[in-house]
Amino acid sequence: MHSADPRLTLSSSDLRDCPGPEMMAARHLLLLLSQACLLLETGSLAAAPPLTASEAPLESPHFTACLSREQETFRCWWSAGSFRNLSQPGALRVFFLKKNSLSRTWMECPNYTASVPNECYFNKSYTSIWTSYCLQLRSRHHNVTYDERCFNVEDIVHPDPPVSMNWTLLNVSRSGLHFDIIVRWEPPPSADVKAGWMSLTYEVQYRERNASHWEVLDLETSTQQSVYGLHTNMEYEVRVRCKMRAFDNFGQFSDSIFVHVPGKVHGKESTFPVTVVFIFGVVGLAILFLLIIFSHQQKLMVILLPPVPAPKIKGIDPDLLKKGRLDELSSVLSSHPLCKAEMYREEPWVEFIELDLERMDAAEKTGCSDTQRLLGLVPHLGSSHRLAAKDGDLGRASCYEPELSEADPAVAAAFCLRPRVTSPEPQSDRPAPDAGPAPDAGPAPDGEADGRPVIQTQLSTQSSVSMDFYAQVSDVTPLGGVVLSPGQQVRGPGEKGEGGDGQPLKNQKEGQKKEGEGGVEKEVPLPLLIVAPDSGAYTSELGNRQIGSDCSRREAFQDPPAEMPQPPPEKNAVEQFALIVPPAGEYQSPYFIPPTPQLPPVADYTVVQDVDAQQSLLLNPSTPPPPSMAPVKPPPAMPVGYLTPDLLGNISL
Amino acid sequence: MFRKLKGPVIFLLMFLDVQVIVGSTPICVHGHTGCQTLSLADLFDRVIQHSARVHGLSSDLHSEYEQYFLPSKNKISKINRNCHTSYILTPNGKENAQRLAGEDLTGVILKLLLAWRDPLSQFHRSMAQHEDFTSFSGNKALEMSDMMHLLGMISNSVRGLISNEALGPQASSSEARPMNDQQLLYCFRRDSNKIQIYLKILKCRIAPEQGC
Repeated sequence: MHSADPRLTLSSSDLRDCPGPEMMAARHLLLLLSQACLLLETGSLAAAPPLTASEAPLESPHFTACLSREQETFRCWWSAGSFRNLSQPGALRVFFLKKNSLSRTWMECPNYTASVPNECYFNKSYTSIWTSYCLQLRSRHHNVTYDERCFNVEDIVHPDPPVSMNWTLLNVSRSGLHFDIIVRWEPPPSADVKAGWMSLTYEVQYRERNASHWEVLDLETSTQQSVYGLHTNMEYEVRVRCKMRAFDNFGQFSDSIFVHVPGKVHGKESTFPVTVVFIFGVVGLAILFLLIIFSHQQKLMVILLPPVPAPKIKGIDPDLLKKGRLDELSSVLSSHPLCKAEMYREEPWVEFIELDLERMDAAEKTGCSDTQRLLGLVPHLGSSHRLAAKDGDLGRASCYEPELSEADPAVAAAFCLRPRVTSPEPQSDRPAPDAGPAPDAGPAPDGEADGRPVIQTQLSTQSSVSMDFYAQVSDVTPLGGVVLSPGQQVRGPGEKGEGGDGQPLKNQKEGQKKEGEGGVEKEVPLPLLIVAPDSGAYTSELGNRQIGSDCSRREAFQDPPAEMPQPPPEKNAVEQFALIVPPAGEYQSPYFIPPTPQLPPVADYTVVQDVDAQQSLLLNPSTPPPPSMAPVKPPPAMPVGYLTPDLLGNISL
Repeated sequence: MFRKLKGPVIFLLMFLDVQVIVGSTPICVHGHTGCQTLSLADLFDRVIQHSARVHGLSSDLHSEYEQYFLPSKNKISKINRNCHTSYILTPNGKENAQRLAGEDLTGVILKLLLAWRDPLSQFHRSMAQHEDFTSFSGNKALEMSDMMHLLGMISNSVRGLISNEALGPQASSSEARPMNDQQLLYCFRRDSNKIQIYLKILKCRIAPEQGC
């Protein structure tokens, strides 16, 4: 600047000596030029560095940088600044002080690096982390401190750049325009990451080859980073640097690597044929579809809209009947379960009853069950003089008797219920079998001793009196048996008198009690009583009583027939009547045959004259009871709602 | 040597909210059945993660403090900083730390943790009072309280375990110089860094992996 001015000033002074207007204009021009030149020079001069340290703004020697690369050693650099005379080595000295050390003396730099000027190197022995260092830059002799810097070593750590960077392709987009890569590197070898002395975080940057702006990615703790969204056919430059975690000093960048993925040249054109092919394919498929539909229209209709199936009804297809396919019809009918059931309905006894009196020992088998008895007696029922009991087929065949169809099945049951009559030999004294009640059935078929001694005898005895095909059913036993009304007293040959009847009755009762006897007493038309189910206890008492006293029984027995039917069931009354105890308890077939031989023959049918106050029927007393029986008439025990046959008998009497 | 280490190490790990495992038999703290067994290396990793988190928090707090309250960085002021944990002898170099016995290293770690229990609570209280603090470091305050909680846990458990001799002279709360917040943050940042690195070296010592 100074040098320029004199030149300029000289020129301007020269111009002032010449007078004249032309000279004036030239002078102005020159002034302008000089000013322009001045401006230019000053501008250029300003950019130029100061020529000497002393002329430039005074800059004292100072530390330029202190840094550590691995947190184990550190270096410090300084510069002399504008003090040119101090730039020689050794002109400036570095002293340091460790804050935690006891000694407060400043120590000189342990190692002035020979290769590098103005560098002080602190090796491991002099480096203490987490301790405050203070460094001073002093002159050699004068002990002038030019600069002082205090720091902790960990705060000045700038890690070395990572090494061994490489990249691998992750994927390429479907369009082929973009791709992703993953970049991997190794931590700097100087940093002891494995021992845990340093923990580093990394920062990856990338840019397009010729761009100026770097894309910065997030900090990464691990030694790899994925880069997404790079363009194909473009070269990229990627670099990475690191710093200590929780500190702010980044190290130098690593060497850049270049990434290039060649993409498809015809990026957009390649999509065109694909779409064309796609459209053509769709059109072709549609045409095919239509063709198929039109060709198989009916079949498709069936598939899509299937006809509703006709309902399937159980039974015979009417088509069979229409078309006259008899064979099929008959086979269908025979196989149909319904028809089979129909066949069996007529003979309900068939399935359940199998009675073979021939085989059975009369003594042992005290009695058929009720059902057995039903079946056993059935064949003799109603059949006129012919008791053809088929051997071994008593149960089944008997019920097939045509006459039986006419008869009320209940009647048949009643007959079956009659106590089995013992064989002709031990007729009289044979105790009754298992307490089968002997319904005083009027009709009695002719006796025939065709291997059916018991029944036949009974029946024969009965037949002598009368043979009625019908018997009035007074009640149904819980077992399914039928209680017939004590119609006509059966009096037949061999039949004992009343007393005899009483005896057998008693015996019968005893037998019933024991249920051991197989013999059936002679027929005894006995009224039956139906006892309420819960009156099982009565039977025992009755049995005891009956066994105990005959006379009383007899007497007692005489009473009931004469009496009008009375509903209140009393124990005394119950005794004298046949008790049909329901099979609730042990008394399976405790058909007590009440000792009522004295009962007069009761008509099968009686006319109901009136209804008692106690809701008992008052029958026509057309047939008076025998006088012997008249006075004694214990009130008949009548279960509620039932009209016992004896009562009927009483009524009739 | 490892057996001697087990005691303090276990307590160290325990208070850092980690399941305790002794050798191969799993001991779950809460008596849960079917506890997942962790190797000692995994435990150490967890502890180190915790300590790293602590260090990060302290560093952030420190920088934020300086940013808000000390806009003009005054490096000279750092010279006079003397932390209350300066009395604890800690290895200051990598070789020193690696040369140190495992037991001693654990003791150092525990001493540091113990020493910071009270100052941190003090700092937390002061932070609560300062309204400015809450505005800029509300979350950090919470995290600091978490750290203090952890430290409190450990101090109680450690006291009974390590003899007083090993712990050395402790600066009781009454003697503690009242530090200002900046100094406290600075010191805590430094000490948390120490703890983190010591733990890593300890892990390499006790549960060595490749490259240790």
